[in-house]
Amino acid sequence: MSTSLRPYLQCVRSSLSAALAISNFASQTSERHNVPEIEAASSPELLLNPLVISRNSDERTFIEPSVNSVRVSLKVKQADEIEHILVHKFARFLTQRADAFLILRRKPVEGYDISFLITNFHTEAMLKHKIVDFVIEFMEEVDKEISEMKLFLNARARFVAESFLTPFD
Amino acid sequence: MAQLNYRTINIDVLDPDSSINFPMDTLLPATLPAPTTSSAAAAVAGEVRQLLRGGDPEAALRHVLDTAPLGGDERAKEVHLAAVTEVLQGIRQGEMSRVLEGVCTGEGGAGRADCLMKYLYKGMASPVSNQTPRKSVSPQNTGFSQIQGRNLGEGGGGQQMSVLLSWHEKLVELVGTGSIVRVMTDRRTV
Amino acid sequence: MAAPEVHHLFHNPIADHSFSPDKSTLAVARDNSVELYEKSGSKFSLSDELKGHEKTVTGVDIAPSSGRIVTCSQDRNAYVWERTSSGWKPTLVLLRINRAATFVRWSPSEQKFAVGSGARVIAVCYFEEENDWWISKHLKKPIRSTITALAWHPNSVLLAAGSTDSHARVLSSFIKGVDTRPEPSAWGERLPFNTICGEYLNDSAGWIHGVSFSPSGNALAFTGHDSSITVVYPSAPEQPPRAMLNVTTRLLPFNSLVWNGENEIIAAGHDCEPYRLRGDESGWQLAGTIENKSGHGADTAREESALHMFRQMDLKGQTQADIQLKSTHQNTISTVRPYEETDGVLRKFSTSGVDGRVVIWTV
Repeated sequence: MSTSLRPYLQCVRSSLSAALAISNFASQTSERHNVPEIEAASSPELLLNPLVISRNSDERTFIEPSVNSVRVSLKVKQADEIEHILVHKFARFLTQRADAFLILRRKPVEGYDISFLITNFHTEAMLKHKIVDFVIEFMEEVDKEISEMKLFLNARARFVAESFLTPFD
Repeated sequence: MAQLNYRTINIDVLDPDSSINFPMDTLLPATLPAPTTSSAAAAVAGEVRQLLRGGDPEAALRHVLDTAPLGGDERAKEVHLAAVTEVLQGIRQGEMSRVLEGVCTGEGGAGRADCLMKYLYKGMASPVSNQTPRKSVSPQNTGFSQIQGRNLGEGGGGQQMSVLLSWHEKLVELVGTGSIVRVMTDRRTV
Repeated sequence: MAAPEVHHLFHNPIADHSFSPDKSTLAVARDNSVELYEKSGSKFSLSDELKGHEKTVTGVDIAPSSGRIVTCSQDRNAYVWERTSSGWKPTLVLLRINRAATFVRWSPSEQKFAVGSGARVIAVCYFEEENDWWISKHLKKPIRSTITALAWHPNSVLLAAGSTDSHARVLSSFIKGVDTRPEPSAWGERLPFNTICGEYLNDSAGWIHGVSFSPSGNALAFTGHDSSITVVYPSAPEQPPRAMLNVTTRLLPFNSLVWNGENEIIAAGHDCEPYRLRGDESGWQLAGTIENKSGHGADTAREESALHMFRQMDLKGQTQADIQLKSTHQNTISTVRPYEETDGVLRKFSTSGVDGRVVIWTV
């Protein structure tokens, strides 16, 4: 793990805890509705300035806060095409199971690989600092997972190539 | 256009009383300084460089934060951001805590801390100058190559970002998460 | 300082709570209904449920002398509940609003109450004898967004309102035939309905979450989403305030605040514990937390970092220890209310929050 990961995660953690100060808020545009304002975007004063935290040009976290919801989008490091494919497949696997994840958004925000949508109902039902922990842990894991998968894939490719070439020895 | 599709028109936008047309300028306080221009920002950058070269990073940071163009145009803000980034990169890791403590205490210190926090986030949001166009998604480079290396998390601009991130960490330690909250709420952007 | 008295009622958020004047009844807003708890011994047990709202109840207030309960909800309605021999009887209030009602408070005179709403109006409600109905008049003019908090001036005419348009305002809710003409004060002399006596905005904006008049009514405090508390001292009608003091904090935003005398404010919010601020016209300062957990603060911090280290080593270590916060409330505090006071000086105050707890603190 690179040394610069810790300050990056630390920064995401403090930004996220600040952004997660959300409360129940009924829509002021549609009657008897209560929708995540960050998705509805129907009143500009209810959205706050978005924050970007980047580790480098390939790894970024985008936090969009609003009065009753926060959208967190991650861009996972993709050094080459294999990692690009792996990240894409990984994100797809997760988003298809978004229901089980509660806070996962079904579609990532444009320019990012995976997005979370955290509403006041999530912070009410779950402990806020544990949600932050979950997102941070997720970011650590994703990094590790992709690197591992790539190594595994490379090893497998080598093995396949070797056994493919053995008969001609 | 005869074929105007009336169903796709967002009629809320046309209603001046609709909440989507909230007058955002009412969120700006009356104390907002007058707009500055990019040439003024460039002059400030010059002064700051002088202070930095004179071996007084604390005064440089203080000056650059006090002169933030809160009411300026985009160009002025950009120039000023470059000046702030230069100061931040010009201060050594070991000196950070000492400088921060000096800048963020005393008269107007809280304001400067909030302002610095805004610049840290803005610095991270602005696209970094990529040294080499290394996004090589071509059919030749399949990523199987062992020589290319796995690029251990050091994409473009990693150096600059890690400076900003360590400043961020130090600043949060000093002024708490309240400052981050104010970056989000404050409509006087830098 | 005595330990706080904690009542963990359930695991749902409490939007608002209110004690009856003799402190034997506690009303809490839970989801779509209001639950009444009776004190038995040192505990509160559920005694009654006020059902009628169709959406989340956002406000509940018990009138101290008449015992009437007013509730409001995101279903756009407000009810006044009166105790009859056959239980609590609701009366619908003609609010005439088309968005959620967000906040409700009785005026000190108990002749009126104010309901804040997402329809960018405040409905000031009063009882009309002829029709046997609670009807309302709207405060409308400068409000540009949802009302989040209201507070009454001791004279029952002036009303402070906080809104998501980042402004805290002081408005007149004078209703002819209901109110007696108020004494002229620094806020204003003649106060016809919807007079704007003050409009305040913080430098760093942020939605207003809580407003409160000082016990004398001569100062206004409000807290915003920019983690700050602002205290305003008016000078004279139509004049800029004598002093407007903004205290920015290093904490997360506060949701609610109460005055304790003229020189102390107690505020609580997203940091899950109440804080104390002290000051006067020359300046205000954060004095620290009210919660007493100093005893083993350093110890637990070390424990936590060791735990963190274990978690780093082990993929998902047992994180049992840090599931619990060190504060009494385990989630955001949404309401702070005075519990016991004499002449505006608090002896006890109560807080309720998202974690389903009502806590009574001794100052």
